[in-house]
Amino acid sequence: MTEVLVLARKELTDLRRNRFMVVLFVFLAIAVVLSVVVAAADFRLKIAGYNHYVDALTAAGSAATAPAPQLFPLQMLRGGIEYLEIIGSLFAVVLGYSIITKEKGRGTLQLIFSRPLGRYAFATGKILSLALLWTVTVTGLFLVITATLLLVGNAPLQGGDYLRLGLAAAHTIGYLIMWSLLAMALSSLTRRTGTGLILALVLWLIVVLIIPQIGDTMDPDNQIPGGLFASLQVDKSHEQAVMAHFTGYETTRDLIEQTSVTKHYERATFAYLGIKNDYNQKSLGFIWAGTFNNTLWLLAGLITSIGVARLAGTQKIILRKVP
Amino acid sequence: MSDYAISTTALTKRYGAKQALNELTLSVPVGEIFGLLGHNGAGKTTIVNILTTLLEPSSGTAVVGGHDIGTAANQVRRTIGYLPENVQFYDNLTLGENLMFFARLSGVHQPGRRIGEVLGFLDFTGHESQRMGTFSKGMRQRAGIAQAILHEPSVLFLDEPTSGLDPQGVAKLREIIIDLNTELGMTIFMNTHLLAEVTKTCTSIGILSSGTLIYQDSVAATLASFPDQDSLEDIYLHIEAGQRP
Amino acid sequence: MNLNRWTAVILHELLCTVRERLPQLLLAVFVGMIAASAFIGSSARTSVTGVYREVLSQGLTTAPNPFDAFSPLYYARNTVIYIVLIGALLAIVIGVHSTLRDRLAKTTDLILSREVRPASYLGAKLTGLAVFVLLLLAASAVINIGCVSVVVGHVLSFGDGARIAGFYELAWLFMLPFVALGMLAGLYASSATSALLIPIVVWSVMIFILPLLGTAAHPVSLLNPVASPPAAEAGFFSFTSGLVAPFSVGEQFKHVSALILSDPQAAGTMTGGLLTIAAFAVAGCLAVTMTRRERMRCEFHD
Repeated sequence: MTEVLVLARKELTDLRRNRFMVVLFVFLAIAVVLSVVVAAADFRLKIAGYNHYVDALTAAGSAATAPAPQLFPLQMLRGGIEYLEIIGSLFAVVLGYSIITKEKGRGTLQLIFSRPLGRYAFATGKILSLALLWTVTVTGLFLVITATLLLVGNAPLQGGDYLRLGLAAAHTIGYLIMWSLLAMALSSLTRRTGTGLILALVLWLIVVLIIPQIGDTMDPDNQIPGGLFASLQVDKSHEQAVMAHFTGYETTRDLIEQTSVTKHYERATFAYLGIKNDYNQKSLGFIWAGTFNNTLWLLAGLITSIGVARLAGTQKIILRKVP
Repeated sequence: MSDYAISTTALTKRYGAKQALNELTLSVPVGEIFGLLGHNGAGKTTIVNILTTLLEPSSGTAVVGGHDIGTAANQVRRTIGYLPENVQFYDNLTLGENLMFFARLSGVHQPGRRIGEVLGFLDFTGHESQRMGTFSKGMRQRAGIAQAILHEPSVLFLDEPTSGLDPQGVAKLREIIIDLNTELGMTIFMNTHLLAEVTKTCTSIGILSSGTLIYQDSVAATLASFPDQDSLEDIYLHIEAGQRP
Repeated sequence: MNLNRWTAVILHELLCTVRERLPQLLLAVFVGMIAASAFIGSSARTSVTGVYREVLSQGLTTAPNPFDAFSPLYYARNTVIYIVLIGALLAIVIGVHSTLRDRLAKTTDLILSREVRPASYLGAKLTGLAVFVLLLLAASAVINIGCVSVVVGHVLSFGDGARIAGFYELAWLFMLPFVALGMLAGLYASSATSALLIPIVVWSVMIFILPLLGTAAHPVSLLNPVASPPAAEAGFFSFTSGLVAPFSVGEQFKHVSALILSDPQAAGTMTGGLLTIAAFAVAGCLAVTMTRRERMRCEFHD
C-alpha cells in the first residue's frame, strides 16, 4: 500500500507543477464560471424585458397581467454542467493520456518497474492520484460555482440546494475520473505517441457528441422549428397521449441515447439540479426513483474504467508497449 | 574552383550567452575524408548545421564547394549531401517512395534510374518496396547515405554516421564511405566519436574543444607526431587535455 | 521551388496522409456519419409523419404536415454538425501529423539542406493536405447525394445536388484553417503531446465557448446544425455578440450552410459568414507559410 501512496503522491506533485495542466484547469473553471455569469445576465435581461412589457401594458391602460419569469437558481448551472460534460471530459482524456505518455517518453517506466512493486501498484497509484485530483478540482469548482451563484446571480440558495449541488458534484467527479481512466488505459495499450490520444478522442467524439446528437435528431419534437406539437397547436396532455402510440420508436431512441454514459451523467445531474422541468422542485426521493438507473450506469462505467486501467497498467502489458 | 572543398573563416555561433563556436577557421582540401572529433557539446553538430546551411552563423564566413554559405546558400545546397544523426525517414512509405521524394526535391533528372544506380552502388537493391518502418538501424543508415548522394554531391556531410550501429554495420558503412571517396571522388566531412573508425576511414582529422579548433592534420602525420601514444584515442585524450606538441 | 518539386511535395503529402492509420479511423467515423445522417433524418421524418397522422386522426389539428414544406435538402442538414465536430478534428489531426512527421523523423534537415525554401515547402504541404480534404469532401458529397436520393426515393434535382455540392465547397473552406492550425501546432509546439492538444483546445473554445458569450446558447444546443441567434438585440449580448461572432467560426459555418441548404430555420445573408471563414482560411495559410527555418528544425522536449 505504501508504494501506491508514494506513486500517487509523486503524480500529484508532478501534475501540480505541470504548467499546461494548470492552464487547462483554470481554463475549465473560467468557462464554467462564465456560463453561470452569462446565464445570470440572460436572466436579468428576461426580467428587464418582463418589466418593460408590464410597464407598456400599464401605460396602455390594460388591466391584463403576465406571469413573471421564475428564478430557479440551480437552473443557471445548465451551461456549466454541459461544459463539464463536453470540455471537462475532453480535458479528463488529456489528463489520463498524459499521465502514462510522459512516463513512456521519459523512460521512467523502466526505472519504476525495476523496483519490487506489486502487480497493480503502478496502475493503482495512478488511479488514486487521478481520483484525488478530480475530487479536489471538482469540489473547488463547485465551491466557485456556488459563490458565483450567490454573488453574481443573487441566488437565494436553501439548505437542500447545497445538497443537490453536492450530489451533482459527486456525479461529475465519477464522470471525469471515468474519462481519465479510459484514456489512461488506451495510452497504456498503445505504442506510438498520439495513438492512444486519438483513439480516446474518437471514443470521446462518439460518446459525448455523436450519440447524444443522434438522439436529439431522432426526437420528433426537435424536427420542426419551435417544436412539432407547438406548430400543430397540440397541448402537453394531448402530446403525451399521441406519443403513447409511438413507444417503440421512443424506446429505440432512448436506447441509443443510453449507450452514451454522457447522457446518463446529464440526465442525473439535470434532475438533481432541477434543470429538467419534470424534476424541478421535486424531492430527492422522487428524483432518485426517476434517475437511479442513470446513476448506476455511470457507476458501472466508472468501475469498468477502473478495472480496465488497472489491468492495462501492469508491468507485463505496459512495458510491451514502450516505443 | 579552389583546392578546398570546405573553408571557414572566424566562424562564430552564439546561443544567447553560450558560445557554441568561437572564431573557427578550418580548411578541408578536395578529396579528403575529414573526421571532426570532440567531446559532447564541443560544437561538432553546430558546425555541420552551419556548413549545410541549416543554421546561420552569428559571424564569420564559410565556403562549401566553392560557394559562400551566406550569399549562395542554394548553390551550396546543390553541391552537398547530408546525413543527420539518427535520421528516421517516413516509416509508412517504402524505401523507393522515400528516395523518389528526396530525388525529386533535389531536382534529379530521371530519378527512377538514378535511385537504381545508387542502390546498386550501395549494394542495397531488393528493398525498394519495403516500408521503412520495418528497417533495422543499419538499413536506415544505408538509406540515409542513398538519399544524400542521389543528386551526386561533391561534398558529403555525415553527422555521427556510426551511432547505434553493430560492428558489421560499422564495417559496411566504412566500406561505403571509402568507396564514395575513392570511386565517386566525394569530399567527406564526418563527426564521430569512434576513434578507431577514424583511423581506418579518415585521411585527416580536426579536434574541436568548446567551440575552438585545437588541432588539425592528416591522420598519418598525427600518428607520426605522437610516437609515444599507442592509438589515436590516446592522442586525442592527450590533445584534449591541453598538452599540445 | 519549381513545379516538379512542388508536385513532389504535394504527392508525398497525399501518400503519407493516406498511409497514416489513425486519421483513417476519424475518416471512417466521418464518412460513416455522413452516410448515416440521411437515414437518421429519414427515420425522424417517418416518425414525425406518423405522429402527424395520429394527431390528425384524433382531430387535434387542421394544420398541414409541417414536413411537407421541407425540401430533400433537409436530409443533408445533419452533415453540417458532422463537419463542425468530426471534420474539423480530422483536419486538425492530419495537419498536426503532417508537420510532426518531419520533426519527429528529423527529415526536416534532409529537406532544408536541399534547394527548398521553407515557405514553398510548407505551402506545398498545405496544398497537398487541401487536395486531400477536397478529395475526401468530394467523395462525401457523392455519398451524401446518393443517400439522400435513396431516402427520398428519386434522384435529386440538379438544383438540390448543386446546393449540396456548394455546401461541401464551403466545408472545404471551413476545414482549411483547421488544417493550418494543426500544421502550426505541429511546427510550434514544444512536445508531440501539446502539438495535438493545443489545437483541440482552440477548437473547443471556437465551437463551444465563444458562441455562448454572444448568444447565451447552452453548449449542448450548439450541436444543433443551425446557428443560435443572438439572445437579444440590445444590451450585454448585442455587445458580446459583435465582439465574439467573428471568431465563432463554427457558428458562421452553420449559418452559411443552413442558407445554402435552404434550411427553413435559416435567415439572413451569407456574405458576412463567408468572409469570416475565408479570412480564417487565409490567415491560417499565411501563418503556416511564414514559419521560419529555425522553427521548423526545433527539437521536441518529449
